[in-house]
Amino acid sequence: MNNETSIAQDEILSPSLPPPNPEEDYKGYKGHARKLLEEKGARVWCEVVLETTSGDFPGILLPRTETSDDRHLVIKLTYNGYNVGIAVDTITSIKILGYRKANYQIPEKEFPFNPGMPDVVLLGTGGTIASRLDYRTGAVIPAFSPGELYGAVPELADICNLSTRKLYGEFSENIGPPHWMGLAKEIKKEIENGVAGVVVGHGTDTMHYTAAALTFMIQNLPVPVVIVGSQRSSDRPSSDAAYNLIRAVNTAATGDFGEVMICMFGPTSDYYDLLHRGTRVRKMHSSYRSAFRTISDVPIARVDDKGFHPIKHDDAYRHRDHSQIPELDAVFDERVSIVWYYPNMQPDVINSLIDNGYKGIIIAGTGLGHVNKPLYPAIKRGVEAGVQFFMTVQTLWGYVQMFVYDTGRDIMELGVTPLANMLPEVAYVKLGWVLGHTHEPAEVKRMMLKTINGEITEREPIDGYLVMQGGLPELDDYFKRFQV
Amino acid sequence: MEAFYSMKNILGTPEDWKRLGFRCGIEVHHQIKTEKKLFCRCPAGPYSNEWHAEVLRHMRPTMSELGEYDGTALMEFKTKKEIIYRLHRDKVCTYEMDDNPPFQINEEAVDKALRIALTFKCKMVNELHVIRKQYLDGSIPAGFQRTCIIGVDGVLPLSNGKEVRIIQVGLEEDSCREISDNGHRIVFAVDRLGIPLIEVVTDKTFESPQEAAEGVQRIGRLLRATGYANRGIGAVRQDVNVSINGSTRVEIKGVPRIPRIPYLTAHEARRQESLLQIKDEMVRRGLSSGEFPIDEKKLEGNGISFHRPELKAAQMAGDTIRVIRLPESKGLLSWQLTGIRRFSDEFSGRVRVIACLDQKPNIFHTDVESAVLDDHDLKLINEFARCGKDDVAIVVWGPDLDTITAVKEIHIRWEEASQGVCNETRQALRDNTTDFERVLPGPDRMYPDTDSAPFEITREKIEAAEQFIPEYPWDREKRYLEMGLPEDISRNLAISHFADLFDNLLEEKAVAAIRAGEVLARIITALRRKGFDLTKISLEQWEDLLRGLGNGKIFREGLFDFLKNWSKKPTSGFTDMLGEYSIVPADENTIAERVSEAIQYAYENVQNDIEKRIKVAMGEAMQSLAGKCAGEMVYDRIRDNMINDISC
Ligand SMILES: [Zn+2]
Repeated sequence: MNNETSIAQDEILSPSLPPPNPEEDYKGYKGHARKLLEEKGARVWCEVVLETTSGDFPGILLPRTETSDDRHLVIKLTYNGYNVGIAVDTITSIKILGYRKANYQIPEKEFPFNPGMPDVVLLGTGGTIASRLDYRTGAVIPAFSPGELYGAVPELADICNLSTRKLYGEFSENIGPPHWMGLAKEIKKEIENGVAGVVVGHGTDTMHYTAAALTFMIQNLPVPVVIVGSQRSSDRPSSDAAYNLIRAVNTAATGDFGEVMICMFGPTSDYYDLLHRGTRVRKMHSSYRSAFRTISDVPIARVDDKGFHPIKHDDAYRHRDHSQIPELDAVFDERVSIVWYYPNMQPDVINSLIDNGYKGIIIAGTGLGHVNKPLYPAIKRGVEAGVQFFMTVQTLWGYVQMFVYDTGRDIMELGVTPLANMLPEVAYVKLGWVLGHTHEPAEVKRMMLKTINGEITEREPIDGYLVMQGGLPELDDYFKRFQV
Repeated sequence: MEAFYSMKNILGTPEDWKRLGFRCGIEVHHQIKTEKKLFCRCPAGPYSNEWHAEVLRHMRPTMSELGEYDGTALMEFKTKKEIIYRLHRDKVCTYEMDDNPPFQINEEAVDKALRIALTFKCKMVNELHVIRKQYLDGSIPAGFQRTCIIGVDGVLPLSNGKEVRIIQVGLEEDSCREISDNGHRIVFAVDRLGIPLIEVVTDKTFESPQEAAEGVQRIGRLLRATGYANRGIGAVRQDVNVSINGSTRVEIKGVPRIPRIPYLTAHEARRQESLLQIKDEMVRRGLSSGEFPIDEKKLEGNGISFHRPELKAAQMAGDTIRVIRLPESKGLLSWQLTGIRRFSDEFSGRVRVIACLDQKPNIFHTDVESAVLDDHDLKLINEFARCGKDDVAIVVWGPDLDTITAVKEIHIRWEEASQGVCNETRQALRDNTTDFERVLPGPDRMYPDTDSAPFEITREKIEAAEQFIPEYPWDREKRYLEMGLPEDISRNLAISHFADLFDNLLEEKAVAAIRAGEVLARIITALRRKGFDLTKISLEQWEDLLRGLGNGKIFREGLFDFLKNWSKKPTSGFTDMLGEYSIVPADENTIAERVSEAIQYAYENVQNDIEKRIKVAMGEAMQSLAGKCAGEMVYDRIRDNMINDISC
């Protein structure tokens, strides 16, 4: 380990404090702790010696996380770089030695232009793919401009001429219909400008909603649209970020695909990423690197350092075809909801949606697509009020099959339409999109059931139920056999 | 300038070390015993070489503040190692693989760490803040280790009265076990990752190799005395850092055994001294400032044919051979650094680690006195490199890309030589010299762990921990020796977790010191070595046994068998066990009868040799009396009987 000082080289110890800035000066401190700081005239980023009943602690005063208690000050110890918390009620005085101003910026390096290489555009929505670390707070600073990205992932320059545009700066959970529509428009513009492919940087949590939305909102793609993110921020040396980005950019630049895909780790190992069809993919783990899985189908392809290895048959996915003209169809009616059925669900759940003006409801039913009887009157009421009901399965894998049991037949009779093996989230996005076109029930139904790109499949492949926990030898072997 | 000591006397004298400005600091890493790991709920051992899945990762350097990869990062990235992790499904979960955030820090480990920090008289922190310490060598799948400080500014007294400052006592997760490291592929077993590790770091106040060794030993003994130190292979690892006047800190990692520390640190000081001499020599030759041009040429196959087998083989295999000319370097590469190490080994070490050319020899050079290269090869290389009479050529061979890296590294090392000693981590070799392991990391590799909440150390927690501070083992050992206990017992008992029990029973005069000492410091160890597990017998049970030994319920001679049985039923109480194995003391009649039978037997079977006769009789008597009465008493009776017989 290293016990030399941990102060970054670009910090300057200045003897005088800068003008007060209450928001920054006591960042995270409240109650007793803040009172003490105010009394002693100390602020965050001051170099101090905390004199306590058990001895002196020299260090830099750090900001505190907002949720922490008000009984401790946090300092980074001068002599070993570790952070420690010191109890406020043991501190007898605070000696202020100076103030360490940090100046963080990501170095810009010119992204090299090579006329022989394909042009790729990276559209940013707010997720950090590449980033740099603020060593003092542990926060990551996103790298986004081509220059910043080049500084962080120089391999990109071997693949394409990269340009970037930041469309939004949102956490994944805040991305919704306006962003989907905005993205679709920008993608169309970029394709018309002649890019070889589009990469969309996105937080991972809702990435699959965006993938479905883009599939519907911009059709007939001549080039790949690849959505990418990272499950581990790139301050981690073993982050998936750089690999995901390199492989997504490579897919956009040279991949023989013409549809919206998600490009994320296949196994937890670095071996390869999977290209998932935008309508069949779902985030299936809160933290695993290989969180994204194609459901009830197989991924389109595997991509690694050597290139692309299709998993689907050649005729089962759309190929790059520059003669295609992309069709923009960016509409969305937001009065749509998903109801995740659970035993003993009361009809008021449905009723309140109806009463609040919702026009479309996706039910994620149990088993083959069921809900209990007490809901029937509420559904009936909704249908009569013009609300469109569709059934999906909360098992995620498999089809809705409402003819098998009486329950199913009864529910269909109420006016609920089964959506085969469309995923609940995809059905939600599609219904909002369809209702953006029409509210005419028969037409809504027709459009919902008319497959745009794989959201309903005619058949489920025998290996569509592989929950690939990459790295486990038996599944990798299976996969290898399948690859040829 | 001549070396200040001969190789025979590598350990030198205190005056030598003073003159050289020897400074040394140590870090001891010791696993502590807990049920579960530090940041997840996997079991904290034992290891297993079985594995059920393998995961591949690479470690990519992250940018430092100034947007440049720092020294270590750059170096590790250059190696582009494939890192393979072997996972055992019972010993590793998704946390270790960095596929799950950490769980709350293990409170059992924190409590024990608090006690240890107090044992070193540290100032305690009031809130633990977990930070990440970056490692790019692959030993941790995340690329960083989670670690925190428990206490700072402790003290370690040495036997010469000096007080060494303990900079910190930290609590951190152990790293993976390296299984193999060949070329571009390194394999780790992940089971060890996450076992709590105590880190004790001293100031660099040790002023001689001997002092450093004592420091490491004392820290180890103090940790053992707390009773929380894990035993077994790899449970303790120490790093020592060494510098001399005019040099910079060099760390020797993973020193396996304490007796080697004086030799390792002495050799390292000597190496540094030599490097400083080489630097002076470079200055003298005008190789100190500005550019360090080297010529590098790729040797194409056209008709050149080497004698040296490695080069021949490389040519056959179609590998690249590169020749580098170092101007004005005659006599430097063969300069003896320490032991059998030459300056050329500095280059070889870098090439091995950074270019992954790890089959030795991995370089040849023309600055040789011995017959490593014959005249034919020397001439060939010198001519190809266009070496003047004061120049030296270095040859590297292997896969093309690796040789490019090798050439760059040789150039870097050559430039660094003009600075004297490089800031690096080195590994210990068998002959107590060292070899390059990696460049010392920059300060930016520690940063807050945003996944962990602060953990409060309440006053109650510290007060509770204060109850568990052991007496210094060296003080205790001295006390036991003065009591007349044998050295081995005194030494072992001083760091045993039975020491307090022993002291209490002695104070009560409940048992003889030597008897209790034998049990606690010899018999238990002997049985453990034979594979009997006595760890489940509680302190209270041991207390009953020792009291029984004191009041004649059980005898020394019967202890071995008794304990063997007890190890199989460790939950039984002492009295129950006595009853169950009918270990009841023999009465006077029985003893007299058995002794007389035994004497009879000895007379019948042994002629004339009294000593032998006594021995045979003793053996015969103890077959039925073992454990039921004191063996010394039986011996005395037999001996008296036989000697009286003769005198008649
Ligand atoms: Zn675990």
